[in-house]
Amino acid sequence: MADAAIMPRPAPDYNEAVVRKFVIATVFWAVVAFLVGVWLATELAWPQANLGLSFINFGRLRPVHTSAAIFAFGGSALFATSFYVVQRTCRARLFGGEALADFVFWGYQFFILMAALSYVMGFSQSQEYAEPQWHLDLWLTVVWVAYAVIFIGTLMKREEPHIYVANWFYLAFILTIAVLHIGNNLALPISMFSAQAYQVTSGVQNAMIQWWYGHNAVGFFLTAGFLGMMYYFIPKAANRPVYSYRLSVVHFWSLIFMYIWAGPHHLHWTALPDWTQTLGMAFSVMLWMPSWGGMINGLMTLSGAWDKLRTDPSLRFSVTAVGFYGMSTFEGPVMSVRDVNALSHYTDWTIGHVHSGALGWVAFISFGAVYYLVPVLWKRPGLYSMRLVSWHYWIATLGIVFYITSMWVAGIMQGLMWRAYDQFGFLQYSFAESVIALHPYYVIRMFGGLLFLIGALLMVYNLIQTVRGKTSTSEQTIVMPAAVAVAGE
Amino acid sequence: MFRQEFIERNAFLLLVLTLVTIAIGGIIEVVPLFTIETTVEHVKGIRPYTPLEQRGRDIYVREGCYVCHSQQVRALRDEVERYGHFSLAAESMYDHPFQWGSKRIGPDLARVGGKYSSDWHYAHLINPQSVVPESLMPAYAFLAETPLASDDIVARLRTLRAVGVPYTDAEIGSAAADLATQANPNADNADLLKRYPKAVTVPGNGRVVTEMDALVAYLQVLGTMVNFADPANERLQQ
Amino acid sequence: MDIDPSDLIVGLMMTVFGLVGLILASGAMDNEMYVFGLSLFGFACVFDFGLLRRHFDRMEARRHG
Repeated sequence: MADAAIMPRPAPDYNEAVVRKFVIATVFWAVVAFLVGVWLATELAWPQANLGLSFINFGRLRPVHTSAAIFAFGGSALFATSFYVVQRTCRARLFGGEALADFVFWGYQFFILMAALSYVMGFSQSQEYAEPQWHLDLWLTVVWVAYAVIFIGTLMKREEPHIYVANWFYLAFILTIAVLHIGNNLALPISMFSAQAYQVTSGVQNAMIQWWYGHNAVGFFLTAGFLGMMYYFIPKAANRPVYSYRLSVVHFWSLIFMYIWAGPHHLHWTALPDWTQTLGMAFSVMLWMPSWGGMINGLMTLSGAWDKLRTDPSLRFSVTAVGFYGMSTFEGPVMSVRDVNALSHYTDWTIGHVHSGALGWVAFISFGAVYYLVPVLWKRPGLYSMRLVSWHYWIATLGIVFYITSMWVAGIMQGLMWRAYDQFGFLQYSFAESVIALHPYYVIRMFGGLLFLIGALLMVYNLIQTVRGKTSTSEQTIVMPAAVAVAGE
Repeated sequence: MFRQEFIERNAFLLLVLTLVTIAIGGIIEVVPLFTIETTVEHVKGIRPYTPLEQRGRDIYVREGCYVCHSQQVRALRDEVERYGHFSLAAESMYDHPFQWGSKRIGPDLARVGGKYSSDWHYAHLINPQSVVPESLMPAYAFLAETPLASDDIVARLRTLRAVGVPYTDAEIGSAAADLATQANPNADNADLLKRYPKAVTVPGNGRVVTEMDALVAYLQVLGTMVNFADPANERLQQ
Repeated sequence: MDIDPSDLIVGLMMTVFGLVGLILASGAMDNEMYVFGLSLFGFACVFDFGLLRRHFDRMEARRHG
């Protein structure tokens, strides 16, 4: 992306301290999220793992996992990369000063900790991906407003006249999440001094608002924001320009317009009116197109540099992520079709779909960005060990394959068992029989998640060694092999 | 004004156009659900939860029961056969928040009311595997050992009224008494039933009302309010 | 003594939040509000202390630098 004809201007003094903090948080919360996930999977394979304890039983622990994965891990990755990318692409230091940036960092970590604590203490408001109660929602709003001020302020003080495409996606993510968060969390507390509150809406209207929010938590938090990440780190790592500017324009506007409508596909065949279900299905199916527009743009950026997939394992993560993104954004529209959904809803197929997106797309693109950022931010010549990155990649990919295939089989089997009739015209299976049949797949899924966790632990070790300035003795570093030999190792 | 090369040079314009773009779908899908009158069917029998049932519901919500149990029978043949009449929007009109759920690790509970005895529910919640050996459900014995905090029951009902649940002054005034009555098999529940038809009295331990009592009272009312045998309820349409 | 405007605004904001936390904890009707209120107060104290420490560290570095 650097144009050699322009005289290099001195780079501003970027605020990299807050980016470093968020990168550390990203890696920390990744391990927490995966560990809790593995524990939950263990509880489903062997319910004795609930240990008879209220604060780690499945009902209380599940939101700890989803919040840790989406908001703690995913969120920290988005904060880290958005702060890094907006400064570099605007050639401007973060707006608002060091104190505001630190407030966003520590305030967000405080929110995460308080939310997790509230769930295990038995204070979830039980709206999916919006479980924190009213007081925590208010706190998050404050932190989010500060985040928006920093990001938008930085855009406004930019030195570059054009706003780079990654920033359109980050901006859409920040704005839409604010709207969704406020819209879905309108609740009246019974007293200012009580955590208990009741949602302003109820029943079918509450359901629609919840899934307007819930699907767009996926669409904007987990998709638009991470597409912003992709649009910076893939071209940077591949040293190639983005494949098509026009495609990025078309798929940006169509994606952010269409995603919002997709919510009702979580409510097919329920008491939500037919017209709403049909709208949701139609837009969900159409959404396949702008999503694949993003996939094509990301993958084709590698055009002319495909050999880098062989030599750069961290780029391999990012590009594989885009492949999984394509897979999930095809599977999603398929599952949004009412007759497919009649089979898939309430089953483990949904879980398989979620995790192909969460592990394959969100986690992998984050790993790619983190592997890129750590040497840059800590001013090291490279990562401690490229071989460990490769091990991480293959173990994690294997984990994903075990996870999603076991859940596909489990989900479709469950769905078919529930609707099976015997030769006398009675339902063939009791619900309990479908539960027994799932056991082996729950074990395989746990194993898949365990592999994913092990891969992440390899990453933690690799990054710690990188920050400490070590270089792996068994590998030739790219930069100074002679210097390593001389150092007597 | 709508050329991208122009928009991306102007942060404020990008912000405004983005906000407009994302607002449209939400408005079109959400607002009519409040304005189209047939969205929530007019059906007899729906009533607010009794104080004990509401407290039980609050416990159901805080424990994350919806994570494993749905409360929405879909309009599909096998589902109606397994669980009963498909769920009407009206049946959750007083549910703040809704708990339709999105996963069935355990069975749907929309019409579990009256299907099992209260004693079965106590045994099942204390140790699920004792009544369903293949169950994956964790044990909720701690609910039976936790007294129900009921000093905020009036505040809870008042807040629910503020968000649209039609509790009368009489109902709020007798909330504490109704709560105790519904957990006491020896109490005279005529007044309770007048205010809240089909309220189920739970056995209780005779000493103190527990969180378990509240949860069982809630479970026992689920799906029982509408009489689907009544021909007036046959042709309900949205 | 010139104070960075960002430090001042954020520092004052956190002070208000700390007081809010203390008030919430004082009247808390359940464990959650009690824990949240005290934690918010503690967080505000530590954060404001950090701002003060950095401010004076900078002033000293400028004087000696």
